[in-house]
Amino acid sequence: MTRRLALALLLAALAAAQDVPAVEELKFPPLKQVQIPKVETFTLPNGMRLYLLENRELPLIGGFALVRTGNLFDPPEKIGLASLTGDVLRTGGTAEKTGDEIDELLENLAASIESGIGETSGTVSFNCLRQDVDEVLAVFKALLTAPAFRQEKLDLAKTQYRSMIARRNDDAGAIASREFSQIIYGRDNPYGWRMEYEHLDRISRDDLMAFHKRYFFPANILLAVQGDFSAAEMRAKLEKLFADWQVKQPPVPPFPEVKARPAPGIYLAEKEDVNQTFFRIGHLGGLLRDPDFPALEVMADILGGGFSSRLFARVRTQLGYAYSVGASWGANYNHPGVFRIAGSTKSESTTETIRAILEEVERLRNSEVTDEELKTAQDTVLNSFVFNFDQPSKTLNRLVLYDYHGYPKDFIFRYQKAVAAVSKQDILRVARKYLRPQDLTIVAVGKPSDFGTPLAELGLPVHKIDLTIPEPKRQAARADAGNLAKGKELLARAQQAVGGAERLAGVKDILMTSEIVLQGMGAGMRASQTSRWLAPSVIRQDQQLPFGAVSSYSDGQTGWLATPQGVQPMPAPVMRQVRGALLRILPSLLLSDRLPGRQVNLIEEGVIEVQDSSGESVRLRLDPETGLPAALIYPSIQMSGPPSTTEEILEDWRETGGLKMPYKITIRRDGAPYAEVTVREIRFNTGLTEEELSSKP
Amino acid sequence: MRRILRRSLVFVLAAGACLAQSLAEFEKRVSEFTLENGMHFIVLKRDPAPVVSFFAYVDAGAVNDPRGKTGLAHMFEHMVGKGTTRVGTTDYAQEKQVLEEIERIYDEIDNERRKGSRADRARLDELEARLRAAIEKANQFVKPNEFVRLFEANGAVGFNAGTGSDYTVYFCSMPANRLELWFLLMSEWLRQPVYREFYKERDVVREERRMRVESSPQGKLQEVLMATAFLAHPYRILVGWASDIDNLRARDAAEFHRTYYVPSNITIAIAGDVEANEIRLLAERYFGRIPPGPEPPRVITEEPPQEGERRVTVETPAQPILLVAYKRPDQRHADDPVFDVLASLLASGRTGLLYRELVRDKRIALAAGAVPAVPAAKFPSLFLIYSVPNAGHTIEENEKAVYEILERLQREPVEEAALARVKTKIRADLIRQLASNAGLARQLAFYHVNYGNWRTLFTGIEEIEKVTAGDVQRVARQYLRPSKRTVAYHVRPEANPEEGRR
Repeated sequence: MTRRLALALLLAALAAAQDVPAVEELKFPPLKQVQIPKVETFTLPNGMRLYLLENRELPLIGGFALVRTGNLFDPPEKIGLASLTGDVLRTGGTAEKTGDEIDELLENLAASIESGIGETSGTVSFNCLRQDVDEVLAVFKALLTAPAFRQEKLDLAKTQYRSMIARRNDDAGAIASREFSQIIYGRDNPYGWRMEYEHLDRISRDDLMAFHKRYFFPANILLAVQGDFSAAEMRAKLEKLFADWQVKQPPVPPFPEVKARPAPGIYLAEKEDVNQTFFRIGHLGGLLRDPDFPALEVMADILGGGFSSRLFARVRTQLGYAYSVGASWGANYNHPGVFRIAGSTKSESTTETIRAILEEVERLRNSEVTDEELKTAQDTVLNSFVFNFDQPSKTLNRLVLYDYHGYPKDFIFRYQKAVAAVSKQDILRVARKYLRPQDLTIVAVGKPSDFGTPLAELGLPVHKIDLTIPEPKRQAARADAGNLAKGKELLARAQQAVGGAERLAGVKDILMTSEIVLQGMGAGMRASQTSRWLAPSVIRQDQQLPFGAVSSYSDGQTGWLATPQGVQPMPAPVMRQVRGALLRILPSLLLSDRLPGRQVNLIEEGVIEVQDSSGESVRLRLDPETGLPAALIYPSIQMSGPPSTTEEILEDWRETGGLKMPYKITIRRDGAPYAEVTVREIRFNTGLTEEELSSKP
Repeated sequence: MRRILRRSLVFVLAAGACLAQSLAEFEKRVSEFTLENGMHFIVLKRDPAPVVSFFAYVDAGAVNDPRGKTGLAHMFEHMVGKGTTRVGTTDYAQEKQVLEEIERIYDEIDNERRKGSRADRARLDELEARLRAAIEKANQFVKPNEFVRLFEANGAVGFNAGTGSDYTVYFCSMPANRLELWFLLMSEWLRQPVYREFYKERDVVREERRMRVESSPQGKLQEVLMATAFLAHPYRILVGWASDIDNLRARDAAEFHRTYYVPSNITIAIAGDVEANEIRLLAERYFGRIPPGPEPPRVITEEPPQEGERRVTVETPAQPILLVAYKRPDQRHADDPVFDVLASLLASGRTGLLYRELVRDKRIALAAGAVPAVPAAKFPSLFLIYSVPNAGHTIEENEKAVYEILERLQREPVEEAALARVKTKIRADLIRQLASNAGLARQLAFYHVNYGNWRTLFTGIEEIEKVTAGDVQRVARQYLRPSKRTVAYHVRPEANPEEGRR
């Protein structure tokens, strides 16, 4: 390019730059009238409501049955029943076809049928090419009306659900959302309780059948179908298809009421493997039909609704503290939702970020928003209103949902009008009336040792959230008199085998040194350990690990933990492990028949279970030949993941200060090798003192 | 069996006819043009509602990040919210001077830091104080988030941007009557972005990295997998390394813009209730102002051949995930459609082999699947298989079960019924995409840039149709070999001291 030409281009470009209008100068033509598609509605003779929408753009047909049910109807001892019913409805197949056969049939046609049950509704949906509609509808109907709930698919779903429980503490954001919602609704009712292993254990195929029977009947279902068909033909088709389904049930009761009490304060869940804090801040919200709902929506939009909101501007743009931050006014159709501010920030800026957010909530209550803020928020809703109609299916879905929840058909247009009418005064009024700073629940999931400023500086109480996943309650052995007596008998034999109850009672302290070699994960890692125990419940361990020394001390109630990173108070889950370890100190374990708070019970031939008053338990399997304890079996508590079973095989019994003690211990966890312990030395009654044991390294 | 097969064939023919019809139909409704400066436009008229979707595709992404400046393409993308010389400022002339002042102070800081341990701490403190003051001063001219506010207030929905390994994209949908706003704002920004609030936004990008990678067990594992599978090729890192991000400069972003955001490197697809000739006038008026530039440099570094399996672990207290990735050729290679079919056979719906065997029958996984190309496919990349073990089941079990499936694919040809099924599904998926403006705009732009012609969206199906059971077996044998794979998985942290012996 010659220089002259380059210059000419540059000048042209400069001239061009001035050639375009400023934003304010743009003139927009009026928006074309939106075509609102016509939905035809009928009620079939059996009571099922039908919604039909012709949409000929593509050769597809799809639809869904909306069923009045929900996991709010879960029995308290079987939480998860509704969800399992929703899943296994599809996978468990029909009387004629297994779920696997249906999988193939549908996928050969590039069709789908899915089912699920959520909080306040259940759905069974289908989608297929026009020419396959009869075949797909037949399967759809069979699944909806007479699912087989095959046992193997229930078992599969339960396996999946157990894994989900095991994985529920893996993602910090998910923990924050879950705990926040449960704290706000309360954990003692269907809105805030959660599924545990023990619930799954109780749910049977009969429960699923009964749940389906109670809620899946024609008068309890709205059926919506849309796509490439003529409404008259589709109506006739569906009438014929469902003519023989005449099941009747009493009407489904209303959903339970929300009876949440405010839960103000800070709730902290500790997570060691993150460098951000995931937070949720809020309290109970309201209903969509509240007259103030439109003003509250505009308010929440100004607070944290998008790129131009206050929270975005302050926390992200101005402070650079967050990538994600936002707020929403929580409103549901039929029960109060949750007003919620959510985001995440690096650990160091946790407290400052929350403080800034709380200030923004206050600011909304203290002064009117600006004209520009109000106009932007209103324009955002009103100018994008057309997107409520950009696909015909949206109109159909909305209509069905309004009917389901008893809302007027024109609800969306009322909302549009109300948003346009919201004033600055309205926003201040609703902010003062509905935002309650004194009631805010603040959930933070993160690593508090990295917080720049402690959360307590916010001047609110800080409650710890215990993330421990409860293990399934093991089948409790019947603690009847016979079993208790047999348990004691067996224990007496073990006492005898190691040297007698009297000698055991004479052990006041123990000093033990050992070498540990890990197997499985971390195979080959070695550690040496000194353990000291002082009756009844003082314990001290000093371990030399490849990455440094670790010491711990506890008096059975509190304690500390010293690692190369420093000394910290004993965290709650570790404390539980310590209590388990205290229970398993062999000389005292063998005397459980005479220690307060302990119960000894025969579980099966040769196996006794010892339980203490805090609920810790361990099983002893006794060698039938010698009477010596051959193995200890106990559940291990983990911060996350499934509970596992640990088994310690005790061997190499040697005479030690008048008693027999095991010098080789093989530890297996869930059946897999975990560690090999070789005891170097055991000494009794060396005169240990609590002062000595509690001195920090 | 026979019945299933026949049904599938019927469908294949029906869907094939439907697609051919779609392509013919699209030919009538799509127009294309290239501005003199090289910027390409694809316009699809589709008018069930008065709305329009925009999709701007810049043919540059994380692979173009310079050495020591990973994360730069993404950092530049974040500048889209910051506005132009006319939007987002109260007084650009003054603001510009302060922004330049910030850069001068930053240069001095960099010079001092370069001395390493001999750097003068007191001088650095003073410079940093001056930097903070200058940033404060610049902030006085800022109308925060004004650029995006204008979009939102005018009814835009889904306004966002994304940076991938191969591309950077900017997209939103608008009421059709306000489409000129998009032309004005996006052309102004693409022509002359302003590096307003750059260093605060850099903190935001670091937070994004913390959220997506550093605080996510899965994010960490993916990052380590890529960095292990690719020794040399820039596919090895997407979000950018923390220390690189912390040192990105506004100047780097400006250089990136100058080099890669030339009009000939940008394709814009528009789908909705629009008139092609009106779009053309608007495009010429607004985007025609951007001067042409030289073709951007190509990515030079090629990944050397992999000679041996690579295994890598990430410690986490979370439940583990398994990733197995095999080297595969790029998207223009003749075997590209075979990988699509292979991924579909392994992972599609409830009949995919991974679901059937790992999830349904053996019950050792909560979920398992396959992705045909990771992180992208403009350059040779990875065929990825993942598994999420069920509680009580190990990575080892899952890995073994994955290999059993792959070995079977190598040993014997897949069933014709299964092959027909996945082809049917790929076709039907395409038909289902045709109902969304936003999805269509994205696809048209993607196919134009990556395959040279938007029609490939339809004709590519023919390539899928040609894939035989023999092809699948050959590709499985040729690529899914132990020496060409990288395996990444989570392990528990080193033994927890409290869990040892008492």
